[in-house]
Amino acid sequence: MEKVIMGNHAVSYGVLLSRVQVIAAYPITPQTQVVEMLSEFCADGRMKASFIKVESEHSVMAATAGASIAGARAFTATSSHGLALMHEVLHWAAGGRLPIVMANINRTLGPGWNIWTEQTDSLAQRDTGWLQFYCESNQEVLDMVIQAYRIAETVLLPVMLVLDAFFLSHTEEPVDIPDQSLVDSFLPPYEPRYKLQPGDPHSFYGLVAPEHFMELRYKMQRDMERAVQVARQVGADFGSTFGRAYDVVEKYRMEGADLVLVTSGSIAGTTRVVVDELRTAGQRVGMLKVRMFRPFPFAALRESLADAQKVAVIDRNISYGHGGIFASEAKAALYGAAHQPLIYSFIIGLGGRDVTPQSIRSIVSYVQEHEGPAEQIIWMEVKK
Amino acid sequence: MTQSYIVVFKSEADMPGTTMSLGSTLYNKTGSWRYMRPIYRNRTSPCNHACPAGEDIVDYLQMVVQGDLEGAQQRILAENPLIGVCGRVCPHPCESDCNRAHLGGAIAIHCLERFLASLPGERKLPQTDHTAPPGAQVAVVGSGPAGLSCAYQLARRGYKVTVFEALPVAGGMLRVGIPAYRLPRDVLDAEIGAIEALGVEIRTNTRLGHNLALDDLQDYHALFLAVGQHRSRRLGIPGEDAQGVIPGLDFLRRVNLGERVQIGPRVAVIGGGNTAMDAARCALRLGARQVTILYRRSRHEMPAIDEEIEETEQEGVKIEYLTAPVEVLTTIGKVTALKCVRMRLSDPDESGRRRPEPVRGSEYTLPIDMVVPALGQEADLSFLDSAIHSAGGLILINNAAVTSSPCTFAGGDAATGAGTVAYAIGSGKRAALAIDRRLRGETLDGFPPLAEHVRVAARDVDPTVVQFEGINLAYFQEEARTPQQRRPAADRVRDFREVNLPFSEEDALREAKRCFSCGTCNYCGTCWLYCPDICIRRHPKEEQPSGPSRSAYEFDYDYCKGCGVCAEECPRQAIVMEEELKWKK
Repeated sequence: MEKVIMGNHAVSYGVLLSRVQVIAAYPITPQTQVVEMLSEFCADGRMKASFIKVESEHSVMAATAGASIAGARAFTATSSHGLALMHEVLHWAAGGRLPIVMANINRTLGPGWNIWTEQTDSLAQRDTGWLQFYCESNQEVLDMVIQAYRIAETVLLPVMLVLDAFFLSHTEEPVDIPDQSLVDSFLPPYEPRYKLQPGDPHSFYGLVAPEHFMELRYKMQRDMERAVQVARQVGADFGSTFGRAYDVVEKYRMEGADLVLVTSGSIAGTTRVVVDELRTAGQRVGMLKVRMFRPFPFAALRESLADAQKVAVIDRNISYGHGGIFASEAKAALYGAAHQPLIYSFIIGLGGRDVTPQSIRSIVSYVQEHEGPAEQIIWMEVKK
Repeated sequence: MTQSYIVVFKSEADMPGTTMSLGSTLYNKTGSWRYMRPIYRNRTSPCNHACPAGEDIVDYLQMVVQGDLEGAQQRILAENPLIGVCGRVCPHPCESDCNRAHLGGAIAIHCLERFLASLPGERKLPQTDHTAPPGAQVAVVGSGPAGLSCAYQLARRGYKVTVFEALPVAGGMLRVGIPAYRLPRDVLDAEIGAIEALGVEIRTNTRLGHNLALDDLQDYHALFLAVGQHRSRRLGIPGEDAQGVIPGLDFLRRVNLGERVQIGPRVAVIGGGNTAMDAARCALRLGARQVTILYRRSRHEMPAIDEEIEETEQEGVKIEYLTAPVEVLTTIGKVTALKCVRMRLSDPDESGRRRPEPVRGSEYTLPIDMVVPALGQEADLSFLDSAIHSAGGLILINNAAVTSSPCTFAGGDAATGAGTVAYAIGSGKRAALAIDRRLRGETLDGFPPLAEHVRVAARDVDPTVVQFEGINLAYFQEEARTPQQRRPAADRVRDFREVNLPFSEEDALREAKRCFSCGTCNYCGTCWLYCPDICIRRHPKEEQPSGPSRSAYEFDYDYCKGCGVCAEECPRQAIVMEEELKWKK
């Protein structure tokens, strides 16, 4: 069934179809509608889930983790400061090997107080052990929720799916909402290997001394690495079930491209338009959309950029004192590769400033006019 | 059961993915860490504490919430056979003490009681064990609420009970003191009828000291005197015996017995109690053009039930405060006016109310055709012999309702002067329990003081009364009391049909759900949910008792660490924490 819905409601429908059993949430702009709709689903019986209202995001993740330890399929959604407040418990969820799925609506961290989109909130959580996927459209959002549970429950690590504030969260797009029976065939019920239960109690998350700790982390990293292949397989299976296949990166008009624009989230949608335009004009420009950020798909990136001469990475985020975060990951991915394209690191659109087709054209012009990046960070559209 | 041991993994492949014990932790009996022990112990709710009839209000309200309306009705009937009466005319001290008052208004308990009284179908009075010795028979003098309550409790225990009533009809003050617009006759008839159906014989037109003597009652094994207070106090002013002055109780008795009473177009009622209100409202219904109540204190000191004062005023009765009559003025022996004096309040008297004193020179005259003094009532105890002692107009009784004559018991207004139906019902029940014990040869020790209530089906409850501060407000939001609807004043003064309208089932359920269930486990599951040690066992729903035991949970003391979260979270103070050492002693 096709519906015109906003990105936030695409999340809600994804959660409904995934037969989530426990939802804990605390409202924050621009995430609120996600859980508003879920609370309605729970209240009117469309979802057989417990909806837990909690007093802060820290408790949200604690409650979600508790539900997951008890063997329930658990979900939450948050944004920005809410995500930051969860930070401690994000480690517990990942270290506890809990297949929780969370939607994070990218929103700028203050001050100055700002509710518009920027990726720094989610990227600041990159070392917590959560998988991260960045979405371009509302359809991708819905599809990703369903895939996220299958991936999470396979590798036993939590998944964060990320969408841009307002450009996706509050923008309505036609979205195909698949049949429940089809989703059920794709996503079986969660059957935990261990769970907290009164009849057969075990202690969880107790003290681990140095003689065993490294092994736990080793196993976690190994499963993170495995998650790349799992995600590719799940994305391919999703394609055969629902007719929309996904990979950890998406190559768009990359055939024979000298210049590749690397980006993520809703900026990918804008870039797509400009790439079409430039291709029509005969220019050899392509786009690489990075969907999966953690684990970082090093091999896919290296393979995709094997023939590129120049790579422009467009970041709507910043690691202060370093630069664009996707750019630094791309550089790390290409280190030691046989072919080393020039990498231009652009920072643009912080605090939700609009990134327009003209912005992308300016980036392309810059790359075409410069034999190499003149600066470590190329700041776009800053009023200097 | 497994023991604890240290595991050393040789390789990461042997380890679980996360840090968890591979073995069960059941071996670790954490109950040994406990210093404080939680105990399910119901406390006393303020409504139960306040009810003079000894109803287990909180219990029956919870039964209503659970949908067991029949059970709830039976629960009250075990204590009180006159629930249709009490649901209408009781001044409901239970509501005055209700903790809900602080969060949206007291529970409308009287409306719920009335609702339960009027459940469809024939009412069955609840069974109890027959304890009466063979052939035991008891005489009850007076068929008011005390006499009926005593007769009921005795009859259901197998006693042969005969009730002697001075008037031509049974019911005492319920019949001749309370008008039909507050207590419809069919309600009263049905409740008395149900008691008679238990085998109680009521002999009307039999007045002790007139056509019945104490000696005539020798054959009975026990005697309960509940003659009430049917004599109005006198005004004590000149002109009081003039034509047109009719004492309040006489007036009400004649009206309620259907006698024709001459009503002056202008009526003055003297007094501030329920009799004054009823007399004024009856006068209005019988065609008085102007009815004025004169009260010597202020509204604040007025003893009548608030709602009744409100209803009286709505109907157009004028209440003049701080005024007292000093003389009834007459022409040829007939009332023409009332000379009054303004009053002011000085220091409190022994009743705690401020004493009224006349304002010098403030006399005035009120033209009036009829005066109804309603200054209180007293018992006619002229039938007493020297063996039964009285003092201050009341028959003397001890805590077991025994008079100075061992097999003569007394209660109701004639012995207590308490003046409410509920108190009289409690008083009759107390006497019945005492008579039962006496006739079975048991001791009469241990009855609570007369100011406290007695209960037939008592639960094991801690006597501590739960205060509002003890209610966990995290669990309750402000919800308004469900109002009781009344007929419009202009309509109701035309007849004697009932003024107050009943609750619908929806009203009743909504109102019962507002109850905090103070001190009384209602199976909310909060303790079970919060216990961090998962050491609370919950009985399955179908095994949860519906009163009177009221505990659906058990602690597993093998594992309870005594953290106290259950007691702290319990919304209604139904869990106590006791020191472990004290427990072991």
